[in-house]
Amino acid sequence: MASTSPIARVRRSTELSLVIMAGVITAGAYTLASLGEFAAIPARIVPFLAMLLGLLVLAHLAVRVFARGADATMLPLAAILHGLGYVMITRLDDRLAGLQTTWSILAIAAFALTLLVVQRAPDLARYRWTFLLVGVGLLLLPLVPGLGFGVGGARIWVNLGPINFQPGEFAKLALAIFFAGYLADNRQLIAAGTWKVGPLRLPEPRHLLPILLAWGFTVLVMVGQRDLGSSLLFFALFVVMMWVATERASYLVIGLVMFAVAAYIAWRLFGHVQTRVSIWLDPWSDPLDSGYQIVQALYGLSDGGISGTGLGLGSPGQVPEAQNDFIFTSIGEELGLLGAAAVLMAYVLMIGAGLRTALRTDNSFEKLLAVGLTTIIGVQAFIIVGGVIKVVPLTGITLPFVSYGGSSLLSNYVLLALLIRLSDSGARRLHELPDDPTPGERWAAYRLRRRTGALADEPELVA
Amino acid sequence: MNRQIRQLAVGLMACYVVLFVALNYWQVGRQEELNARFDNTRAIRREFDQPRGDIVTVDGVVTAQSVENPPDSTFTYQRQYPTGDLFANVTGYYTFAFGATGLERTQNDVLTGNTPEQQLLNLPGIITGADPSGSVRMTLRSDLQQVAKDALGEREGSVVVIEPATGAVRAMWSYPTFDPNLIADPDFDTARNYIDFYQQYPGDPLLANAYQQRYMPGSTFKVLTTGIGLENGVIDLATTFPEETEFVPPQTTDPIENFGGTSCGGDLTEVFTRSCNIPFARTALDIGVDRMISGVADWGVGEPIPIDLPRPAASTFGDTTDLAQNLPLLAIRGFGQNDDQMVPLHMAMVAATVANGGQMMKPYVVDQTIAHDGTVLDSTEPEVWKTPISAQTADTLTGLMIGVAERGTASCCIALDNGISVAAKTGTAQLNGPGEPERSHAWIIAFAPAENPQFAVAVMLKGTNAEISAGTGGRLAGPIAKTVLDAALAGG
Repeated sequence: MASTSPIARVRRSTELSLVIMAGVITAGAYTLASLGEFAAIPARIVPFLAMLLGLLVLAHLAVRVFARGADATMLPLAAILHGLGYVMITRLDDRLAGLQTTWSILAIAAFALTLLVVQRAPDLARYRWTFLLVGVGLLLLPLVPGLGFGVGGARIWVNLGPINFQPGEFAKLALAIFFAGYLADNRQLIAAGTWKVGPLRLPEPRHLLPILLAWGFTVLVMVGQRDLGSSLLFFALFVVMMWVATERASYLVIGLVMFAVAAYIAWRLFGHVQTRVSIWLDPWSDPLDSGYQIVQALYGLSDGGISGTGLGLGSPGQVPEAQNDFIFTSIGEELGLLGAAAVLMAYVLMIGAGLRTALRTDNSFEKLLAVGLTTIIGVQAFIIVGGVIKVVPLTGITLPFVSYGGSSLLSNYVLLALLIRLSDSGARRLHELPDDPTPGERWAAYRLRRRTGALADEPELVA
Repeated sequence: MNRQIRQLAVGLMACYVVLFVALNYWQVGRQEELNARFDNTRAIRREFDQPRGDIVTVDGVVTAQSVENPPDSTFTYQRQYPTGDLFANVTGYYTFAFGATGLERTQNDVLTGNTPEQQLLNLPGIITGADPSGSVRMTLRSDLQQVAKDALGEREGSVVVIEPATGAVRAMWSYPTFDPNLIADPDFDTARNYIDFYQQYPGDPLLANAYQQRYMPGSTFKVLTTGIGLENGVIDLATTFPEETEFVPPQTTDPIENFGGTSCGGDLTEVFTRSCNIPFARTALDIGVDRMISGVADWGVGEPIPIDLPRPAASTFGDTTDLAQNLPLLAIRGFGQNDDQMVPLHMAMVAATVANGGQMMKPYVVDQTIAHDGTVLDSTEPEVWKTPISAQTADTLTGLMIGVAERGTASCCIALDNGISVAAKTGTAQLNGPGEPERSHAWIIAFAPAENPQFAVAVMLKGTNAEISAGTGGRLAGPIAKTVLDAALAGG
């Protein structure tokens, strides 16, 4: 059914070999970690290899079937990050490793499902208001009494029977889609600034207000939930998208000023913000209590040095929540500066691939969505890595693809699927491969043919 | 919008460069400083998850070992001391929160397999996961150590047995001591409670009386004074001392008396056997300040004992800055009173020096270090530390000390089983000033057999209990020295 395309073929075979390399590295790391910790080849190595290979091939096949023109590096980069994170979680906590296996299977399934369901990127734009509603709804879920609950001060969890999840992880995707959809329509109107107030030329309130309200509301909700990391991420996402959409640097400046003011107010008002800041400035002022986590994390990093202690040979478990927020320092401890830099490099490459996708397409919505999704990955990784190595104040947020957690893994794979969809869409727009109709479109065409009968052989109707 | 996207790419890139720089800062720039911080337990934690070798006695009794904890424990291994307190002052303890002492500290690299030789031997083990730890074989004999412990009983003091020819320590017991199993308790609070308990316990159980403390030596110091006098030609066996009950040294009107105010005099053999004080006060004055100071330094006084254990004490001859203007002090120090303080182990070495023809060997407790596969990594080679006296002087002193054992202050209690000859010198260090209740340390140093010395011993009983009030050192410390020497010669 698919028409031949040399470019797509090369991309897919590149992706396959890269994905297999990621698998080999993960399996090697898994074995080394077990050797380091127990001096034995892991007992579950065969089922582990089978599952790893199965998941990787499944993900690859999903791209090959549903998005064969997409960039070849995105999936392998996610796979190596996911693999390293999984090895680290296994090494830290056997029980969590079992759960993470389940999450991994679900995440790959969600990845394939997203590629299957979202076959045309612009379809997403049509549902932008729905996504806004869904996003806001998800954000508010943890505040519903009896449903939501808090862990470690942040009320961002929802309990649905046997499943606990963080709806915020999915809300960020829904809201990015809404922003992209809304800004693609209104960006020129907002940028034009036709509303004169004295010497200032401001955008018409009716164009600016909906997005401003959506953004302000979500940030307030996150702050209210004490989810500082997500608030920061969301702030950055909005400012970046406004700036790129309107092509006006003033939004960047206004955003930064507003951030400074908001941060100052938060610091004045909230004790927990003050604690975060003072720990950031000097974790050794309280090394056994509030500063314990970061002090231990830094000791782990320094113990690792350039080449690391070796997998399974450090003591990253000394850092509370090592499998979650602090997984990056665990990697830095056991794989050293080299391993930690490799992880950073993977994010840089992923950001590169995402922004390249944004550059290559002419469609405003796809451009903005690619920018938004890439910003989420890039800024989120920066916030948490910077937090654990004392570059910025620590705000709890997961490290994409690496940290333990089902919601995070699932939402990041959905995000990846969307990016891959956008990349494939861009390739088709550039005619790097023929733009075959999707199965859904074929079905619609078939029904149209049936209904219109004699007119069915008119080719322009199905194109 | 593409221009903004490119700018965004540059901006995000810059963020990650900052992260990379910060990583370098922590992992390379400040690495050493952070690793050295006192609250950084990474390195010791890693050690606690590794096997650690045994410390065994020369007769093969395990005194320290690591046993594997049940799974899911905080640490993989737990340190245990099967002999309890018996070797506590030598093996020391190895804890997570309170560091390590004794051989656990000095031999840490061997026990964890971190010496360069072991790392080379263990290269294949990196793949196979073989146990890299090494073990330490002590020179101490468990049977002799037990005899020393039983003989001293619950009296504060110490018993040291060394080999004169090598300096190998065969027994070294101090009381009070501690049980390292309690301090090595895996529970932090429990361990801290025991540490606190021992720190507040009278008599400093955590410090070994035998080598980490020093005490006034009393008459045992006369061996040093006599040795220095003989070496300098100030006295010889023909020297006679006047029969007197009082002697007024220069620069004072306050007379020196013999022990118990008795009258004492005669030739050197006579006064040494009876342990008169005045003749040795006279000898010290005849030797003079400078030769006395350099003489005691030749015996190793003033330097920490060069034993292969941490924090050994140094014996002292007191403050010598204005000694020429304080000749009475020189006279009194000549017979082991005033500010003289000797480490019990050092006094055993003094006896051993006489036994060994004038050569003072470096004492040691580590016989061999052994890799996990049985390869001997290192054997301690005996080394001469000091040569304070000639072989001839040593012969003379041996004769004098035999006299003490046979006819003198030790004759009550030192005669060995099977008629084996023995040489000895007793000491009673008076701690009380005039008019105070009597309080003194009781000492004896001895070696046997006298003609072919195998073992030298020093017994010290601290003057803290009423029992050691009036008696001379011979009566209290002598029987302990006899028991220990009998056991040493029987088992050797």
